[in-house]
Amino acid sequence: MATHDDSNYLEVKNLVKWFGNDRAVDDISFTIPRGAFLTLLGPSGCGKTTTLMSIAGLHSIDGGSIRVGDVIYTSPEEGLFLAPEKRDIGMVFQSYAIWPHMTVTQNVAYPLEIRKLPKDEIDDRVAATLKLVGLTDMADKMATQLSGGQQQRASLARAIVSKPLLLLFDEPLSNLDLKLREAMRVELKRIQHEVGITSVYVTHDQSEALVMSDEIIVMSKGTIEQRGGPRDIYARPVNRYVSNFIGVANLLDGRVAKAANGGLGMVEVSHNGARIDVTCQISDGLEEGSETVLSVRPENVHAIRENEGGNCLEGEVIEAVFLGSYVDCRVKWGEFEWKVIAHPRDRLRKGEKVFLKLDPDHSLAVRP
Amino acid sequence: MSTQTLSPTVERSAAANRFRGLWTQENIATMVVSLIVGAAVIVPLGVLFVSSFLVLDPLGWDTVWGFGNYVTLFTDRVIPKAFLNTLLVSSGCTVLATLLGVSLAWINARTNCPLRDYLEPFNLIPFFLSPFVGAIAWYNLASPQTGMLNVLARDWFGVETYLFNVSNLWGVIWVTGIFFAPLVYLFVVGSLRRMDPSLEDSARTTGAGLFRTTMTVTLPLVMPGILSGAIIVFVTSAGEFGVPFKLSAPYGWQTLTTQIFSKAVGDDANHYLGAAMSMALGIITVFLIWVQQRYIAPRSFTTVTGKGFRPNVLDLGKWRWVALGYTIAYIMVSVVLPIFCLFMVSLHPVWQGAIDWDGLTFINYERTLFFWQETSIDAATNGIINSFYLAFGGASIAMALALVVSYMIHRTKGYGSRLLDFLCVVPIGFPGIVLAMGVLVTYIQTPIYATLWILLLGYITRFFPYGQRNISSIMLAISEELDQSSRMAGASWFQTMWRITIPLLKPGIFAGWILLFVIFLRELSISIILYTTGTETLSVGVYYLSNFEGEPLTAALAMAQTVVLLLCLYIFRRIAGKEALTA
Repeated sequence: MATHDDSNYLEVKNLVKWFGNDRAVDDISFTIPRGAFLTLLGPSGCGKTTTLMSIAGLHSIDGGSIRVGDVIYTSPEEGLFLAPEKRDIGMVFQSYAIWPHMTVTQNVAYPLEIRKLPKDEIDDRVAATLKLVGLTDMADKMATQLSGGQQQRASLARAIVSKPLLLLFDEPLSNLDLKLREAMRVELKRIQHEVGITSVYVTHDQSEALVMSDEIIVMSKGTIEQRGGPRDIYARPVNRYVSNFIGVANLLDGRVAKAANGGLGMVEVSHNGARIDVTCQISDGLEEGSETVLSVRPENVHAIRENEGGNCLEGEVIEAVFLGSYVDCRVKWGEFEWKVIAHPRDRLRKGEKVFLKLDPDHSLAVRP
Repeated sequence: MSTQTLSPTVERSAAANRFRGLWTQENIATMVVSLIVGAAVIVPLGVLFVSSFLVLDPLGWDTVWGFGNYVTLFTDRVIPKAFLNTLLVSSGCTVLATLLGVSLAWINARTNCPLRDYLEPFNLIPFFLSPFVGAIAWYNLASPQTGMLNVLARDWFGVETYLFNVSNLWGVIWVTGIFFAPLVYLFVVGSLRRMDPSLEDSARTTGAGLFRTTMTVTLPLVMPGILSGAIIVFVTSAGEFGVPFKLSAPYGWQTLTTQIFSKAVGDDANHYLGAAMSMALGIITVFLIWVQQRYIAPRSFTTVTGKGFRPNVLDLGKWRWVALGYTIAYIMVSVVLPIFCLFMVSLHPVWQGAIDWDGLTFINYERTLFFWQETSIDAATNGIINSFYLAFGGASIAMALALVVSYMIHRTKGYGSRLLDFLCVVPIGFPGIVLAMGVLVTYIQTPIYATLWILLLGYITRFFPYGQRNISSIMLAISEELDQSSRMAGASWFQTMWRITIPLLKPGIFAGWILLFVIFLRELSISIILYTTGTETLSVGVYYLSNFEGEPLTAALAMAQTVVLLLCLYIFRRIAGKEALTA
């Protein structure tokens, strides 16, 4: 039997799940190292929750295998399916799923009682865990008396109290209001870091993913679009879908005029009469002449008053919204509207002609 | 976890594991329960269908296969008329119950009728009482010679003959109509209460008047509820046995149910002809229930949004006193008068239509309730004891079944759950007397015939869907994640059921249990087919007394039954709350 080191602690291999005639998850594979925090990110229906439920064992899978450490969770080819209760997983649900007929302590003690731990140890561990999530004062309250944020913490406490092999989060913050959500992001990440349990987190909220994750997997239509660290995914999306889904980007169809091996290349962009050659980063695998999409983030488009030649284009400001620390602008170029973030000092006004300079190091030609 | 402890998991052979995967607690429970429910529901109906094609020869010795029974349905001297009478009674009852139910619900939910919060529970009392007892009470109130009201009319107003006569089809319509009105009420009042008031307000802002708004917005929104209620009333009254048996059959107006009864027991018993009649009745009711479930129930527009709407309340002005009078009049004729009359009758050694204040006695209660006394009547005392056994046992078993079935329907996916859902609707489509005929022809030659077990089987099969509905409505409201999180915490399916699911469903389980307890305690149309000497039930006891003893003894036992049922209603309201039965 093969041994597994910590670098591929959780392994999902060729996972396939059908719902009726729909391939909800279409042959995806990934691994994560022990202790890491991985986020599955994508819009609803992209298969992220299905993947999570497959790991949890809350439904069977149609192909592939899932393994954690040396435990094979499921592998239909080998006829293996470990019941969810035998997988030793902690899970935080979207609705928190705090049992309303029990107190906070009873909720948190439940996994330990099921595991038939001695009473003293249960008490100690519940107390320690409640302290960790900051619910010590609420220990004897009924679960229904807790606020949303407190239920969230209780749910987390219940998930980690048994020190499981794996922690799963199913959009746990989506029911909280914005302020609380932002606070809980940091808090959740801190607690996860403290207990050091390998975690898989599902969300459709890209900023949540960027803040919390060690690694992000962007999914769409049951497949993986890109995997990488938050900065990596933001700065170097591999295709139109990812650059559109993560953050905001100006996306223009074009053709690679000059490929590059790691350096800067050239892309021809034409859009309803307006055209320009842009010097930019070329994604790996794009050949000369192939179709491409130029992706430039608004903060990498600089509005200037004079033409500086290369990578510069002329347009008209059609909208400038002052938002305090920056100005959100739209600049019309041919039929295309550029999203531009300008400094308030630049004092751009509606109707004004400006030049847009695209930063070559931060302009990216990606796969369509 | 270490490598050593887990390697056996992996090394186990693939085939063995695949097989082992099927034997989860969940799957075993599903299979067992599906088999039980399937067998209980399908077998008697199948046997009923098959035996309806067995024709008894004139001497009653031998049978041949054929359509003879169905031909008899049309050529018999009585059956075609009974068929028409059933349609007439059901239609009349449906019209009356719908008018009463809708108007009472509207007054209660949407007007400023005084005291409406206090009167609400009284509107529902007939739902918990036995219509058969209602018929007995109304017989004593309004039979031509000895009816209390007619005697009063003669004594006080000098009426020559009589004012009222319930000993005919109109009497059946009257009694079933007032007793089934709460069914319509329950279907309608929920949607009237929960209706988003902005729907009506926006109609008013477009310039539509009150009348027009009611006709174009309110009524269409409530229509599915009204139609559902009306269909349920039609089906229930078509299957009602006690009322026509007491009021119309002795005077020559037979219905299908009284005819089925006479073919099931008695001198001219012919189970196969009874089966054919049951099939005819069953086909009509199943069709109607199918229409209701398939086309009407899904059109119910008023979805529960979880928002607490405060519905528009109409100021009736002076008319609110009329509304109050109307509501009180309904409660008088459906609850107060019948119970008062029964009580008075039960205190007389002999009933002659007028209250004899000097001769009141409790002897009737002694003879029907005190089973330890020599003079007690076996049919009555047996009935009391048997009915309590059946109600306790039946409600408990049925709720256990209902719990697992609801779980299967709502927490598992696939064909199994859809099949179970279907099996739970089927018994609702068949009147008790039809299902009882099926159970009778199926089990008559087995050892369970002539025991309480066959009654228990009939009760549970016919009525467990009512309990299942009670649980399902709560199960739909609680998130599946509550169960799942228990599984993730390491609990098995059974542990999860025991520690999470059942505690969360407790109110629904209790409410359903009491509802079934009430239904079983007053059940007549199944019991009348399946009982034998020694296995009488409470309602069979009432039937026996009414047939072979006098009205006072009958009234005493009926009163005892009514008191227990009222007690159950009180407990039910305390546990389940105001909205529990509303659709």
